[in-house]
Amino acid sequence: MGGGTLEKLDSIRRGELSAAENVRRSLELIQRLDGKIRAFIELNPNALAEAEALDRRMERGERVGRLAGLAIGIKSNINVLGLRATCASRTLESYVSTYDAEVIRRIRREDGIIIGMTNMDEFACGSSGETSAFGPTDNPAAPGYIPGGSSSGSAAAVAAGFCDIALGSDTGGSIRNPASHCGVVGLKPTYGLVPRQGLIDLGMSLDQIGPLAGDVAGAALMLEVIAGKHAGECVMLDVDRVSCLDTLGDGVKGMRIGVSRKFAELTDPAIVGVIDRAVEKLRDLGAEIVEVDLPNLEHGLPAYYLIVSVEFFSATRKFDGRKYGRKIEDVCGEEVLRRIIRGRYISQKEYRGKYYQRALQVRTLIRRELLAALEKVDVLVGPTVPKLPHRLGERISVAEMYAYDYLTVPANLAGICAGVVRAGEVNGIPVGIQVQGKVLGEREVLRTMRALEAAP
Amino acid sequence: MMVKIGFEVHLQLATGRKMYCNCPTNYQDVPPNTNVCPICTGMPGAKPLPPNERALDSAIEIALMLGCRVHTDETIYIQRKHYDYPDLPSGYQRTSLPVASGGELEGVRIRELHLEEDPGQYDPVSGTVDYNRSGVPLVEIVTEPDMSSPEHARRFLRSLIRVLEYTGKVRPEAGGAMRADVNISMEGGGRVEIKNINSVKGAYRALKYEIMRQGRMVGRGESVARETRAYLESQMVTVPMRAKEIEEDYRYIPDPDIFPIVIDSSRVERIRSAMPEPPRAREERMVREYGIPADVAGVIASERELADLYEAVVRDVDPMLAATWFRTKLKKVLNYMGLSAAEVGFSPGQLAGLLRMVQSGRITPEQGEMVLRELVSAPGDPEEIVQRLGLLPVSGEELRAAVERVIGENSKAVEDYLAGKEEALHFLTGKVLAAVRGRADPREVTEILRKRIAQPSRTSSQP
Repeated sequence: MGGGTLEKLDSIRRGELSAAENVRRSLELIQRLDGKIRAFIELNPNALAEAEALDRRMERGERVGRLAGLAIGIKSNINVLGLRATCASRTLESYVSTYDAEVIRRIRREDGIIIGMTNMDEFACGSSGETSAFGPTDNPAAPGYIPGGSSSGSAAAVAAGFCDIALGSDTGGSIRNPASHCGVVGLKPTYGLVPRQGLIDLGMSLDQIGPLAGDVAGAALMLEVIAGKHAGECVMLDVDRVSCLDTLGDGVKGMRIGVSRKFAELTDPAIVGVIDRAVEKLRDLGAEIVEVDLPNLEHGLPAYYLIVSVEFFSATRKFDGRKYGRKIEDVCGEEVLRRIIRGRYISQKEYRGKYYQRALQVRTLIRRELLAALEKVDVLVGPTVPKLPHRLGERISVAEMYAYDYLTVPANLAGICAGVVRAGEVNGIPVGIQVQGKVLGEREVLRTMRALEAAP
Repeated sequence: MMVKIGFEVHLQLATGRKMYCNCPTNYQDVPPNTNVCPICTGMPGAKPLPPNERALDSAIEIALMLGCRVHTDETIYIQRKHYDYPDLPSGYQRTSLPVASGGELEGVRIRELHLEEDPGQYDPVSGTVDYNRSGVPLVEIVTEPDMSSPEHARRFLRSLIRVLEYTGKVRPEAGGAMRADVNISMEGGGRVEIKNINSVKGAYRALKYEIMRQGRMVGRGESVARETRAYLESQMVTVPMRAKEIEEDYRYIPDPDIFPIVIDSSRVERIRSAMPEPPRAREERMVREYGIPADVAGVIASERELADLYEAVVRDVDPMLAATWFRTKLKKVLNYMGLSAAEVGFSPGQLAGLLRMVQSGRITPEQGEMVLRELVSAPGDPEEIVQRLGLLPVSGEELRAAVERVIGENSKAVEDYLAGKEEALHFLTGKVLAAVRGRADPREVTEILRKRIAQPSRTSSQP
């Protein structure tokens, strides 16, 4: 890509690179390479015209927004007026959004140019990018391997240079998992920090929109644009805006950074090796490394799959075939169907206590455990995905697929923030380190990520 | 035979906006699917706004009027109740856990009270759905099975509607905004639930039918099974519902997109201090305070505005006289004109003025009723109405002046009469009556004329 996001913004503002030229390069690259990568489902036919209009405004000397001229990719479960929000499913194959999600309004206000809708696991149900009804996405950083999911297209689009920043959504790791596999930066913000109005549901108590970008500054910038209270949206934190760019370069000197033996127990030793070297780097940069105890971490996964299935079952009742053409159960893929059936089963009156209530109790336990650990440290670092990605088309079991999520679901269950930045690679496949922070601890998380990104 | 009847009554709350979005609620006044937005049509990705605060206030007020305990400082979750029907845009209806519980009305215990949202309106014939109604706030009132007859059930429902309409916080029952599910069990039989009832009359008829039906079954030696039936208004019968229509398991979950409601006690106290006196309490107080019969107090208290009017009027009118007037003449005139007490245009002072005239005997009750009709159709000062209608008898002085004037202006007729022409006196009587616009008895006028002509006035007799 050459240069970081902020440098590119500067050159657009100085007129060295026009917004139209930036968008045109993206579109040409997509034209040339996306037939194989399949990062996008649909492109915005007006993207170039919007960029040209922005250039004219800049030529007239008008004030422009903070994302002026950047090419933005949007996950296909976020409503963008006039584009299809398919959720990569036959169910919503012909659903054209009638309104902009709140995050899209905020991006438009800051003059970001939306170039298209990215591929994803169907209804965000998957951790590999293979369950899309429009075909699997390839990993630009490790061709032939899965890009991870469910924000597969958003991560791949950033990795391939198709766009400058992309939006993903993260319910149990869907931003962090593909960010790790594709070697890009991803951030799942604190639950309730970014408006969800316009995000098509997977698990409403866990879903959160967040950025994927080529560098930490790009993710931080996008977070500043999309974060903050949305009048009238119920389940949000009382925060007007966040600022994290100003402290991004402050380094980790004096920070207390937590690690846990539990992470290594659950993770491929090759990955653990990469993470350990990153932790050493942090120590070298002046951070104090503190061991914390997370005894129940692995119980998060089964609890997560019960909760998400019940909420997903509820959320999909509107896809009854009356309004959007096709009934979801009639046309969806097997993972979506599996979650609907599981959700329907365990939400029955007689099983509520046995499964759903128990899952909610485990959730409370995990939340307490993580928040207690984060009392002692500023951030927690560890691996993102316990295993390396499999090859595209390789059959793995449902249990193996779910096991990809062991280390990412706890942050969603606890509602805390967590980001991923490339830490190294194993056999040419990128490995990302996960930095988990407190509720509204985005500044510390991004600062730690930036320190790793900047370290030689 | 022992009969146990209970209700789940749903009424629309009279808020301007829907429960979880800002769309207007006047769904009957606008073309289909115009009062809609992504939220109330359940578009993918739409998120609800926080629950309508006015709807919650209304539910609290209704709960207090029914003597319920409001669940303060508790976490009241908004639940999703899942079922599949074309009028339900998201495949679930939002319904709160109880906002209040433990009230009483007409000897019936109120179990609990919930806040809900109305679905849209599905027309099975055309296969279309109108979402204008989708999201209109409802209050659901659940009773214990404490009613023992259709008559008791009817009395309860009427009383309930009176209480709710008293608050002014629900849409009138007459507009079809009430819906009820009834459960009924007879000794030894299963509990039968009847859905699809939308008026007091409907509830009464459905119960009458159901008791007859179950009675016959028992008479034939059959047992009544637990089931859910639908009331068919057009045929006044209940029929079994298909198994598919009775989704027993709604798979309730707390809605993850809405923070639960927490009601603090200061809110309840604020509402309590501003709410109207419940009709039953008011009825009893009026009997005590004004010494009027209970049945009359019942009629007056049946409508909040009528009772307000009464209490304003009796500040300076005999309460007994006013009560009689309210129960008979005022009710009659309002009914005749198809008006409710809320719709009258005259002031309490004007009505009191009229009643004072009757009280003092200045006008007869019959004339008073004429004035009342006038007051209702064209409100104004009752004195003026009495004048306009020419209802006050003319004073002796005015009458004497008219007689003098007529005699002075018609000397020919006076001479004719003196010459023995009796018809001339009738002519003069007519002239006098015209001069006083008929406010005198003709026979009396004739006599005055006769005497006056027979003994000429002192002034005119002076040569």
